[in-house]
Amino acid sequence: MLNILVCVKQIPDIDLVKMDPETGNLVRAGVPTLTNPLDLNALEAAVQVKERYGGKITLITMGPPMAESTLRECLAVGGDEAVLISGRPFGGADTLSTSYSIVMAAAMRGKFDLIFCGKESMDGATGQMASQLAERFDAAQISCCLSVDAVGDGKIRATRALETGREIVEATLPCLITVEKDRFFGRLPNLEAYLAAKKAEITVYTENEIEGLDLQKIGVPGSGTIVPKIYPPELPEPGQIIRTGSARSDVGRLLELLAEKGAL
Amino acid sequence: MAAYSKITPEIAEQLRAVVGKRFYVGGEVDPNYSHDEMPIYGKYMPEAAVDAETTEEVSAVMKICAANKIPVTCRGAGTGLVGGCVPLAGGLVLCTRRMNKILEYDMDNLVVRLQPGVLLKDLAADAQSRGLMYPPDPGEKTATVGGNISTNAGGMRAVKYGVTRDYVLALTVVLADGRIIELGKSVCKTSSGYSLLHLMIGSEGTLGIITEMTLKLIPSPICDVSCLVPFRDVESCIRSVPKIKLANLDPQSIEFMDADIVTSSAAFTGNPIFPERVRNEDVGASVLVTFTGYDEDELDQKMIKLGEIAKEADALDVLVVATSSNKKSAWAARSSFLTAIEADTKLIDEMDVVVPVDKIPAFLIYIRALGDELGIRIRNFGHAGDGNLHIYCCSNELEEEEFKRRVKIIMDRAYTKCAELEGQVSGEHSIGHAKMVYLRESVGEDVFELMRQIKAVFDPDGILNPGKVCDSTLAERA
Repeated sequence: MLNILVCVKQIPDIDLVKMDPETGNLVRAGVPTLTNPLDLNALEAAVQVKERYGGKITLITMGPPMAESTLRECLAVGGDEAVLISGRPFGGADTLSTSYSIVMAAAMRGKFDLIFCGKESMDGATGQMASQLAERFDAAQISCCLSVDAVGDGKIRATRALETGREIVEATLPCLITVEKDRFFGRLPNLEAYLAAKKAEITVYTENEIEGLDLQKIGVPGSGTIVPKIYPPELPEPGQIIRTGSARSDVGRLLELLAEKGAL
Repeated sequence: MAAYSKITPEIAEQLRAVVGKRFYVGGEVDPNYSHDEMPIYGKYMPEAAVDAETTEEVSAVMKICAANKIPVTCRGAGTGLVGGCVPLAGGLVLCTRRMNKILEYDMDNLVVRLQPGVLLKDLAADAQSRGLMYPPDPGEKTATVGGNISTNAGGMRAVKYGVTRDYVLALTVVLADGRIIELGKSVCKTSSGYSLLHLMIGSEGTLGIITEMTLKLIPSPICDVSCLVPFRDVESCIRSVPKIKLANLDPQSIEFMDADIVTSSAAFTGNPIFPERVRNEDVGASVLVTFTGYDEDELDQKMIKLGEIAKEADALDVLVVATSSNKKSAWAARSSFLTAIEADTKLIDEMDVVVPVDKIPAFLIYIRALGDELGIRIRNFGHAGDGNLHIYCCSNELEEEEFKRRVKIIMDRAYTKCAELEGQVSGEHSIGHAKMVYLRESVGEDVFELMRQIKAVFDPDGILNPGKVCDSTLAERA
């Protein structure tokens, strides 16, 4: 039976997050959260593998207690058990310390044959986690996966997207896979699974419960990067669409604007 | 029946004196004013157009047009589907798009006062930002609210909340001769003579021009969830609808979709949120049921009950649309149905019949057989909860004239079938000029004549939106 790990992240609804113009910080208070959509694509790929080859899917995330809702959402569409890494010392982590925390917590649940990750998170969008995790798990990595073609005999064969075509690759297990979103649309949960997920038990690991965890490698102390400032990119002046109601008056308005700018 | 006059340079000057640069004549007129979203019904350019901004301007324009017997066709966003805003008699198009201000909210009485050119999506979003909801929810969100009132638009939430008519408290209307009248008040009930307010609603600009509206709002629901219930076939799908309605679950909407439209929508949006196969079986048709409630526990209880009904009705499953991402995807897909059909269809015609809910399968089976017989592809979706079906006749192969010939046969027979099933010609798209002949057959000569007499009281010279609803005199004026 395949032991499958799917890494997921709860993010603020990126359509609703605003930036504090004075501090440069993202204002997340009161902003609804959602599960990183690309992680749901990864979960769907994992569920399809489980349906074809059998196996168990463990979901893992790191975040505040409210991140439980993301795990329950994922349990409803095919996850079998869920782990939440939560505690103040994990806060402020960059990808280096997050990948360390996830690997250490995952080790508490045994060894994994396959690890599925979203391509990146829609909020941070570093795209670094998958490669870091593959390294820390000592796993092969297949990125840009279009389809999982075969799993067996300690190997996986998959098709991945290249800029110029496709590539069929084979790797030994364990293997970490990131998927192309258009190939693995998330499914809707059925009612039974949705209601069961609401009551499912979720394993919560604090910093004290993860064996061998080095507190200097988690959270801010374990981060290899510092973010001194966040600021929105400078956008070019937006274009203007002239719609006055008729072509003739549109042209008239255009001539006026060009004259105002000294172009005529 | 007197013939209409043309807009002479002198009349043009009078109109220009009222609205200034917002008067357009000849080649200045936006060519889009010649049609709505169903160009198969023909294109008719007006001689001139005005973009009105105030009630007083509309009144002044109408006085000029009444004095000179100039036909006037009022137009909002032009998103209609029956040629309602198309200037069949030429004349003047009076566009209300620039009358797009939300004037004030009365939070004590939960009403909003606005101009007719406000878009439905803008009103919905603005009300939402105040914790309020404007319940009517027609699929075309870029329609103007004035247009919604003129057609008594319905939408997906009609099952629970009713239609546009149920939310109109008062209107300011400019009559054909330019007089300004007020209909209705901001009160919850009235028993005060004939309701001219309700006569004006759904009259498609044939009785007067709406220039200001007072609408009823409700507090926004606290939470909501939708369930997709897939079935093997249309019959078992529709049979579940009365059971869902009877179960005291108070659904906000019960939307129907068949397999064909789901496939089109997935191809169009690139997001197959509605599955084509469930539990290794093909899905023939589904209903999308939406509940609102005070908290998640209440919604869970409603869904559990729905699950029991679905099981008894032999549904393939019950799928939950609960997360914000899935809700966005599901409603984007549902809202895309018409656009998806338009995107991959060369020739298209539609009907918007409403039949008793239990008669939906009989009508769909009949119309599909007609389509097969005549080589016309039939695609449909609609509001299962209230029996309102949107049926599209499509072809990519036929020449236009042949398409029209075959579709006329389908329409003639389908509306006869609709009448047999005790249905109505239009649930929410209205009559325009495209469906007038079917309205006449449906209501009979006595009722049709009464409609014409009412029209004559409001508009004795027939200058308001000629050739629409019950005005079959256009040929006589030519």
